[in-house]
Amino acid sequence: MSTITSSSTTTGRERLGLRLALAGGALLLVSGLLSWSFEPIFGDISIRLWPVSLQVFAMLIGLTAVALALSPTVLRRALGWVHAGPGLWALGIGATAYTALSLAAIAVEAGGLINANEGAWIALVGALLLLGGGWMVRDRPRAPEAFSAQGPATVEIVTIVAICALALAAAAYALGRDDAWVFVLFLLTLGVIGTALARAEVFEWLGGAAGRHQHVLTLGAFAAAFLFPFTQDGSEINMSIATLVLIFAATAIGLNIVVGLAGLLDLGYIAFLGAGAYVGAIFSGSVSSSIGWTPPFLVTALMGGLFAALLGLIVGSPTLRVSGDYLAIVTLAFGEIFRLAMFNLDGNNGPDLTNGPNGITAIPNLSILGFDFGESHTIAGVELSRAANYYLFMLFITALIVLIFARLNNSRIGRGWVAIREDERAAEAMGVNVFGLKLLAFAGGAFLAGVAGTVKAHYDTSVTPDQYQFLESAFLLAAVVLGGMGTIAGVILGAVVLKLMPEKLRFFSEYRLLLFGLLLVIMMRFRPEGLVANKRRQLELHDDDQDRAAQTDRSPQTKEALQ
Amino acid sequence: MDQFLQQLVNGLTIGSLYALIAVGYTVVYGIVQLINFAHGEIFMIGAFGALSTYLILFQGQTSLWVLPFLVLGAMAASVGVAVLTERVAYRPLRGAGRLAPLITAIGISVFLQEFVRLFYDKVPGLDFPSAKQKIPFPQIEVVTGPAIELGPVTIQRAAVFTIGCLIMCGAALWWFINRTRTGRGMQAVSQDPDTAKLMGINVDRVIVVAFAVGAALAAIAGVAQGLLNTNINFKMGFIAGLKAFTAAVLGGIGNVWGAILGGLVLGVLETLAVQFLPGGSPWKDVWAFALLILVLVFRPQGLLGAKVVDRA
Repeated sequence: MSTITSSSTTTGRERLGLRLALAGGALLLVSGLLSWSFEPIFGDISIRLWPVSLQVFAMLIGLTAVALALSPTVLRRALGWVHAGPGLWALGIGATAYTALSLAAIAVEAGGLINANEGAWIALVGALLLLGGGWMVRDRPRAPEAFSAQGPATVEIVTIVAICALALAAAAYALGRDDAWVFVLFLLTLGVIGTALARAEVFEWLGGAAGRHQHVLTLGAFAAAFLFPFTQDGSEINMSIATLVLIFAATAIGLNIVVGLAGLLDLGYIAFLGAGAYVGAIFSGSVSSSIGWTPPFLVTALMGGLFAALLGLIVGSPTLRVSGDYLAIVTLAFGEIFRLAMFNLDGNNGPDLTNGPNGITAIPNLSILGFDFGESHTIAGVELSRAANYYLFMLFITALIVLIFARLNNSRIGRGWVAIREDERAAEAMGVNVFGLKLLAFAGGAFLAGVAGTVKAHYDTSVTPDQYQFLESAFLLAAVVLGGMGTIAGVILGAVVLKLMPEKLRFFSEYRLLLFGLLLVIMMRFRPEGLVANKRRQLELHDDDQDRAAQTDRSPQTKEALQ
Repeated sequence: MDQFLQQLVNGLTIGSLYALIAVGYTVVYGIVQLINFAHGEIFMIGAFGALSTYLILFQGQTSLWVLPFLVLGAMAASVGVAVLTERVAYRPLRGAGRLAPLITAIGISVFLQEFVRLFYDKVPGLDFPSAKQKIPFPQIEVVTGPAIELGPVTIQRAAVFTIGCLIMCGAALWWFINRTRTGRGMQAVSQDPDTAKLMGINVDRVIVVAFAVGAALAAIAGVAQGLLNTNINFKMGFIAGLKAFTAAVLGGIGNVWGAILGGLVLGVLETLAVQFLPGGSPWKDVWAFALLILVLVFRPQGLLGAKVVDRA
């Protein structure tokens, strides 16, 4: 290890810590090749030299640890800018939690800790070494090259594309897990590695890289999402989950325009999705619809969007008079009025329009330009099922919504919204048309939700008032808050987490709402800016935090980068 | 005319409930400018606290002397939960803008509902019924039973109890706010927290007291609701809370007497709308929420005028 001398700032204690962490990472890597249990559980983790599930996750953590531990020395040329100390500390904590939970999983599934074999114990030793090493280096100062790091363009582009591909692989893998333990441990692994990389300030670099190659990132992400159905090989269940996630994410991005950009808290947003869905259902030609006319879908989608936008204008108009909390309550009241009205327009208590609590059922599949969404199609040898058809169509709509969001965000309108969000009176004094822009935010967000709603009606095949209750609005808001207000990547992440978890974890679904409520409280307490923070928003929410402000000044290129 | 009088009585009954809950919104808002969205759940927890007291101590009893204990049990549960949420969730967020506390309040609201739904029948050592469906509320002599016929008007006994509670609570509240040191401290903090602090008022304590007072009144409303409706469920707080908030806004949020007036007005308007507007009772909530929106748009300071006209 002669290269250590090249790092002049490293103290002896830190050198020891790095070596411990390196040893821990290496042990984790090796443990993956050993047998973890005497029982063939979790895809058979009892065989040596054949890593599966838990073993692979341990190896992934080990690999991250080795890379971080070597970054100040051997890999200095490539990774010298990484802030290894806090990263290793976070990774140590996470790896210990991971191995402990793995042992618990083995104990539960195989009947007692006695069934854990040498690999699992070696992994625990490795994790503890990593923890100790991480503790020693946790205060290691930032490398001097930290903020000037800028790799060659090709490296950056390849990294971005690789990350998109990895995200695709991870999503496909996670969806394919049937075992709740493996699913939870996989999510934990992702969380641990993600946190460690965030602490190591890898995302700062990534943000910069993404900012410099935004088109590559966008195209890469959409290519990965586009290829997703082809990895599922006709699995209808997985594709239907993916489609639900996508509809939810598209709606959440629409809400993000209102909440994240313009800073107007909307608690009745689901009503706009519902308005679009009802328009889509009523003009679908369903037998339970009261109107027989069936225009082409593109016309229906436009009508759904415009109807929702009209409602948005109506809800938005009080913004001239009320703001802040009052506005939130107005939107909440509006959402309830919408649901109750749909409930009552059944022919008994009012004109027959929506078939009341039974809703409009048996909505036929979409058919655009002769392409029937209800049938399976075979493309390149892969069968694309009904859900996959809707998935791809929703992906197209999501792409449109993302495009609109990004363009608005970087326009005069978007800057006006930010100004209103930060200080309404100052914005007005500077000549920003406050009322017009607020109305635009409401109507625009509602339009996007309405369009998504028309597709949702056809996909769900039925529309009932209970699908559009207040709790759903709260869920959308939670996706925005959890992911990070004002960012696209964050909202998509939040939508995926909030929709995927209950679908994959049956035991979880009973406690879903309880944990969701708790999550909102904890997020607001400890990280109000969300998982993927918009830098500007972060400063608004922590405006007493000088340290953070200073930090952001040093890396101006990362500002709003991940958008 | 008979029908009008009957609806007036019904409206005053439901309005008294709204008024009791609305005081909690308005007291907290007047002092920390926070819409305590979880206040409806505090009301629900009051009802469950009374039910639990009954099931543990007085199973099978129907005499009137049980009632004060039920009210005390309800208050203990409501005040406990309200003070706990203030301490754990709201206090750390003080001065963190307005979005974060409101989202926290929504989170607490969902959490409390689900907590009661999932765990009410799982309390160790006690044999409580599951809260996943409606639970019958204990019936007490004198305050429940055959309705009172007063000429052409029929009055439920529980309705008399509800209106009586509002009158007593109103009087107690007046005495508390105007005649006690703590009450005057609350007035001072709601007028100007910084100056109040300089005058030696413990602002943190005043805020806790505000939460506790609101919760105590909501607990009484919870008992009254149980007696009126003869059953309770974990969802009863959501709509009731929203209506009570409407009442608080209608009267002028931040103004205690406004909240009481607003509650009564809302209750009466709602029952009259059911009687005289087309559509009938399915549209009741629609009228109430439409009224909320209209008030917020055209007279955001409410009937009696709020101390704070929101410009945040």
